[in-house]
Amino acid sequence: MSDDSTHRGNLPNDKEFSDEEIVKSHVELSKNKHEPTANFLLAPLVFVFVFGCLIFVCSIQLSHSTNSFQLHPPVELIVLTAEEKETLRLDRKISSGEKIFAARCASCHQANGLGIEGQFPPLAGSEWVSADPAVIANVILKGLKGEIMVKGKKYGTSAAVNMAAVPITDREIANVSTYVRQAWGNSSTEVLEDEVSRLRDESSDMQDQWIGSELRKMFSDSFSQ
Amino acid sequence: MPADSPDKVIDRSAKLVFSFFLSSAGLWLLMAALLAYLAAAKLTDPFFLSSYEFLTYGKIKVAQANAFVYGWGGNSIFAVSLWILARLSQAEVRGSVFLVFAGVIWNLAITFGLLGIMDGHMSGHEMLEMPTEVWPAMLISYLIITFLALVIHRSRQVRETIAPQWFILAALLWFPALFLIAWNGLEINPARGTLQTVLSMWYGQSLVWLWLTPVALGAAYYLIPAILGRTIDKYYLAIFGFWCIAALAPWSVVHHLEGGPVPMWIPAVGTVMSIAMVFPIAVASTNFHATAFMDIGKVWHSLPLRFVIFGTLSYTISSYIGVVFSLPAVAKITQFTIINEFHFNQRVYGFFSMIIFGAVYFALPRITGREIPKAAKSFHFWTSTLGVLMLLLAYLIGGLTHGVLAGQPSLPWSSSVIHSIQPYFLITKFAFIILAFSQFVFVVNVWRIIFPNPFVYFSAENKEASV
Amino acid sequence: MNNLAKFTIGIFFTLGMAWLAFVVGARSQFGDLVPTSEVLDDDGSVPEDAELFPVDISGMAKQGAEEYAALGCVTCHTQQVRRVEAGFDVERGWGKRPSAPRDYVLQEHVLLGNSRIGPDLANVGLRNYSDEWLHQHLFEPQSIFPSSLCPPSPFLYQLVDEPVYSDIGIAPKNNMDKNRTVRPSIRANRLVAYLQALKQDYELPEVSFIETEEELVEEEVISSAGGEAPKWLQDQIDTGKEIYMKAAPGGGMCFACHQQNGEGLAGQFPPLAGSDWVLGNKERLIKISMYGLMGEIEVNGVKYNNVMAPPGIPPGSLTNEQIANVLTYIRNDWGNSASAVSAEEVATVRASLKGRAPMQMFTSAELTTPIQ
Repeated sequence: MSDDSTHRGNLPNDKEFSDEEIVKSHVELSKNKHEPTANFLLAPLVFVFVFGCLIFVCSIQLSHSTNSFQLHPPVELIVLTAEEKETLRLDRKISSGEKIFAARCASCHQANGLGIEGQFPPLAGSEWVSADPAVIANVILKGLKGEIMVKGKKYGTSAAVNMAAVPITDREIANVSTYVRQAWGNSSTEVLEDEVSRLRDESSDMQDQWIGSELRKMFSDSFSQ
Repeated sequence: MPADSPDKVIDRSAKLVFSFFLSSAGLWLLMAALLAYLAAAKLTDPFFLSSYEFLTYGKIKVAQANAFVYGWGGNSIFAVSLWILARLSQAEVRGSVFLVFAGVIWNLAITFGLLGIMDGHMSGHEMLEMPTEVWPAMLISYLIITFLALVIHRSRQVRETIAPQWFILAALLWFPALFLIAWNGLEINPARGTLQTVLSMWYGQSLVWLWLTPVALGAAYYLIPAILGRTIDKYYLAIFGFWCIAALAPWSVVHHLEGGPVPMWIPAVGTVMSIAMVFPIAVASTNFHATAFMDIGKVWHSLPLRFVIFGTLSYTISSYIGVVFSLPAVAKITQFTIINEFHFNQRVYGFFSMIIFGAVYFALPRITGREIPKAAKSFHFWTSTLGVLMLLLAYLIGGLTHGVLAGQPSLPWSSSVIHSIQPYFLITKFAFIILAFSQFVFVVNVWRIIFPNPFVYFSAENKEASV
Repeated sequence: MNNLAKFTIGIFFTLGMAWLAFVVGARSQFGDLVPTSEVLDDDGSVPEDAELFPVDISGMAKQGAEEYAALGCVTCHTQQVRRVEAGFDVERGWGKRPSAPRDYVLQEHVLLGNSRIGPDLANVGLRNYSDEWLHQHLFEPQSIFPSSLCPPSPFLYQLVDEPVYSDIGIAPKNNMDKNRTVRPSIRANRLVAYLQALKQDYELPEVSFIETEEELVEEEVISSAGGEAPKWLQDQIDTGKEIYMKAAPGGGMCFACHQQNGEGLAGQFPPLAGSDWVLGNKERLIKISMYGLMGEIEVNGVKYNNVMAPPGIPPGSLTNEQIANVLTYIRNDWGNSASAVSAEEVATVRASLKGRAPMQMFTSAELTTPIQ
């Protein structure tokens, strides 16, 4: 009846199991689990060892790659007091400003804020920086030309060193001017993004750069401080 | 084989159901083979039949997977599970009419599902692409069949159960649970964002691991001792293997999400559990191969067993490869490549289908009393083997090429990366042609056995039983 | 094992554990993400008037998503940029940053995909493809990429004899009807609207843009196009690049003005990539690197009038070797290819300028007249 019938004679074990035999023999097997054999001790030991190694490897893998079961949580989710929040906000603003400064300002004003004598005015300790926040924001918004006095020295004598306006967002201006106003020993107030937006609107009709002397006149109160 | 009468009675009770499910499975197998060929042909020549919308690559590729898994897989699972459960329980198959009725609904549901896919109502969820309208019909018909399978199991003669019964029962019970979870999470109470993907990926991959795989393993646990006439070697490990699969497989499948927009713990857990899967794989491999190699000559001479052992070897190898590919360092290269096709085809062709073929060749003569010609069986075995090996090697090597080239950002995508894997698509096309021939021979022979004279099948039942 | 009820409970328990994790657990963890702003306020809340991301796509694009799903595009295209550790996606320029779960919360059908026979589409809307280009690609991908395997979708288009305004001038190459015009159907327009809407061009609190993408791509191009550079040259280029990028003592911080990609800033800072000032006379280049430059110059036909302070931090502090390295670098990146500059050459130039006061920038007149 079965297709193996022709080969059955050649084989050592020529019977097939009936279903009853299959069930009975295997049930029997599972009842006598502990057949005493020579290798009884070795196999489970190897097994336990391999299993142990595997659990070890797996735990390492898990702890390295699960991100502690978090979904990229923002740091700010930690509960902070009002002052801590304020400090954190300012820190973030300043560190953002520092990056912007390094990328877009430091080539002239230098990373140490000292500028280059005769060419680029210093920012560290500059009365232009510590004046009204609108001064620095306006300068960045529209650029600056004409002769100016900074820390008692004259700059801007040549047209080549005029400061040009570059495309930059209000938030970036707020961040970078806050950084400049608080770095290298400067300690002026922060510049707010809203204020920059307001200044941008006000000066939106201006085609040209600010002229140093005009700007100084506009904010003469804060310069005299 | 001792042809004692209780077995004959059981076989006779299973005859209608087995014949029905097997012949529909055969139909789906041919359908899937045709679709597989079309899909492969479209990858070698994109203009092939390109003006027909319902035959566009995206649709037939999906239709092929669904026809294969639910059509061929589902029907053959019903046929083989019911018969093996009945034989091991020494109980007759009851409620044949309900079973056939449920089977008709199942097949209609899949037919409409595939038509829906072709007509542009694809849902986009992995292995649940069929339109939601057919899901209730699938679930209800499935539950009827499972209920009747449990009835058979409940009326078993020996109270103790053995490995094949665990695997088959678990598979039968897991499917509706998976289906309901996916249905709830995707349609009834839909999840938002990538949670959908986690769910559909979990469902799609678990379907292979918790539905197709256990049935094939159960069939192997039954066929190997039955044909060899020996008990399974180290049988005490089988229970450990079973619970390992039950506990680990549903965790391991999500490693495919590595690097994606989901919380990192999901793929990480998946990877870890995939590594742990070496234990159940080792257990099944030891059980099967230690038993088979005691009597390798007999394995070689018995065609059903040859199919089964091919399947189990393929299971072992592919599962280990799967473990390696789940490691993040390797997944970096292999993820999203045609290695996915390698995994899918290895599972459904190289493992599941081969074991089912073996089970059919074992069961069919016993149930119908007629033999498929030896030449046809042999042709089927060798062409399947050749086709499967060609297919898998092409996808494996092609997939590695795909991954390595894709990982070099300077190489342009289509003219370099995809161009270099096109030869492999050509090989898979030929492999699918070979497999289509092979399966055609199989199905035609199965049909000829089941319907020796198609017009007088039901009236001639008594005559056949006397062979 | 022998009691069916206990057995069933057992197998459902094991399945239930995974279900608890991946369905219930994951859902409670990220099932209710909502759009948020790019930067959060410091207490973790969304600023009041901030723009929220992801943005909902247009109704047309949503219908396009249905078409995308129905045509099975997801079979070959993923829509996810993997994390940098897990794949090459960012390097390939498929996204500015890895995708995050939040990017998908507004999508009805999330089509992440699992196979890439085609490229990733998470950011296809950012690749500056015109609608015509996308239509052409949908109609007949092979007319754009001859070896593409993407199935043509002529069924989404109509061939018409008399074009109207909305028709698209795409040429069906493999088609007989060369003289006819292709008219996109409403479905094709939806699909294109959807593709153009696929973009993750915003940052989220949990994920920022990755800066290095261009750099990596550029590097690949150099090494694959020019063959293997000798080791000494490669070393010089590498060190030069460090100086170019370094914003600390010992560096040049050249990138601040001339940009990382060597393109400069339009109207402000001249480009180095493809510049005749960089690729031409070495002496002039060395002089500028020592003393800076001011005044109007013309680079690649565009006039610039700005000041270049003596490079280096502090200014004018670059050593001969540093100048040689950084010049070799700028002469060999961004598609530039010119001979290396050696420290000896720099030393010769420096010797010839012995009398010049430190920090005294060259004017454009000084440099252009004698050379031309």
